[in-house]
Amino acid sequence: MRLSPRTSDRITRIAGFVTVTLAAAFLLAPVLLTAVLSFSNDPYFGVPPDTWGFRQYETLFTDQIWRDALMLSLKIALPVGLLSAVIAVPAVFAIHRSRLPGRNVLHVGGLAGIIIPISAFAVAMYGVLADFGLLGTYAGLVLANTVLALPLMLVVTSAALSRIPVELELAAMVTGASRARAWFGITLRLLAPAMIGGFVLAVVTSFDEAVFINFIGGPGLTTLPKAILDSARLGVDPVIMAVATLLMVATSILMILALKFARSTDE
Amino acid sequence: MFVLYPLVKLGIDSFSTGDGLSNYAAVFESAAGRKALITTVIGSVIVAVLAVGIGGICSWYIRSTKSTFARIVLWLAVLTPFWMGTVTKNYAIVLLIAENGALNQLLDVVGLSGLDLLYTPTAVLLGMVYTMVPYAAVSIYGALLTIDDSLLSAARSMGASRARIIRTIVLPLAMPGIVASTALVFAISLGFYVTPVLLGGAQTPFMATFIQDRILTFFDYGVASAASVVLLVIAIVILGLVVALVGRERLVRAIA
Repeated sequence: MRLSPRTSDRITRIAGFVTVTLAAAFLLAPVLLTAVLSFSNDPYFGVPPDTWGFRQYETLFTDQIWRDALMLSLKIALPVGLLSAVIAVPAVFAIHRSRLPGRNVLHVGGLAGIIIPISAFAVAMYGVLADFGLLGTYAGLVLANTVLALPLMLVVTSAALSRIPVELELAAMVTGASRARAWFGITLRLLAPAMIGGFVLAVVTSFDEAVFINFIGGPGLTTLPKAILDSARLGVDPVIMAVATLLMVATSILMILALKFARSTDE
Repeated sequence: MFVLYPLVKLGIDSFSTGDGLSNYAAVFESAAGRKALITTVIGSVIVAVLAVGIGGICSWYIRSTKSTFARIVLWLAVLTPFWMGTVTKNYAIVLLIAENGALNQLLDVVGLSGLDLLYTPTAVLLGMVYTMVPYAAVSIYGALLTIDDSLLSAARSMGASRARIIRTIVLPLAMPGIVASTALVFAISLGFYVTPVLLGGAQTPFMATFIQDRILTFFDYGVASAASVVLLVIAIVILGLVVALVGRERLVRAIA
């Protein structure tokens, strides 16, 4: 049987619509569910909850374990952001502005961090940190997270730098600015929004990191993701829903900010 | 250098701890290792196909719909898993599919019997697809943007049906991007750790949990590194194939 174009169009459209609606529902359901359930007042998990209220949030803010985990995550994420900025900026200049041999290797190596299987990478980090006696230490965690966050920083700053014409810098130098002044005053200044965007991305990545911590963390080093994972592994603790909701809100705000900064170089 | 040095060292260690190939033999000869490897590879293929399928359809809709509302809702849906934390999104899926979770309550209301999804391979795949859809959607969207609108309206004015336009114009033109994105999703999926741990439980063997057991329970760094190298090699071979097929630029663009 051959369908008329119009009938076939209608079928395609309806099938497409149904698929997309289901996909959107699948993608949005877990978030909405978590957010709604975080206002359950029950001491146990149940759908729908018997009572509603802020009990989970109260527990969260009064419990020392969660507060410690949050502090440790912040204490790791912020240095990681700074460190990856300090490494990434010279690196993108080497990639874009020099004829250094091996700059392609640098580029590919930077991106590799995103695509290689993370647990294989974690074992590699384990090996390296074990050699330096940094397993289960704060310094080791900062180092490992930097390796993970660096590619994001590289991608963002490198995209921005490729859009800044090198002529601007040259023009400044021709008109009498010193090399350093031209660089700081023009190029670095134009790059700053992307650097802030990359910094936020790096901080968020490190804050969210949950794989490395299991391999190279140790006793006493419980970051927020690890605390959630440990708790979730034991069973469904309703407090996690409150943590998750707050984290989602915070990450969304930060990510939107990061994208805004990263994009503002476009214009 | 920061990234490559650990990987090179990993490769060397996998041979030098123990004698030569014994670590690799231990991975392939143990039933647990073999099973984990097979589950992981097959699982990653399924995840790549599903994530690219869902992400692809969604991004085509975003590209072609005229309704701003639909576009915003879809962007939101596609990016949500990306913005949720790694652990929290898997946890959210636990809430959804747990024995007394939302899905079963819903099925109960409409009179269907509940599903026992949690701690099965299906649950792990569900969680992985959920995580990977944004990656697929964003990278395919990039490929779709490069398709010229005038081609589509030309085809339409000559009477081609939607299905035909998609089949003969959109798909062939987007194919390199789709291939790159599939490879990308596959490579990332190989290493999933949190999802198997939270949604798979003890019975579902995945490489990540296998590797972690070797290291942290048996303190057998040699076998763990060999298993990691196996994963890496699979990922590199697939990515290399794709680079040969569609070029390095495509892959780099799919990532960024």
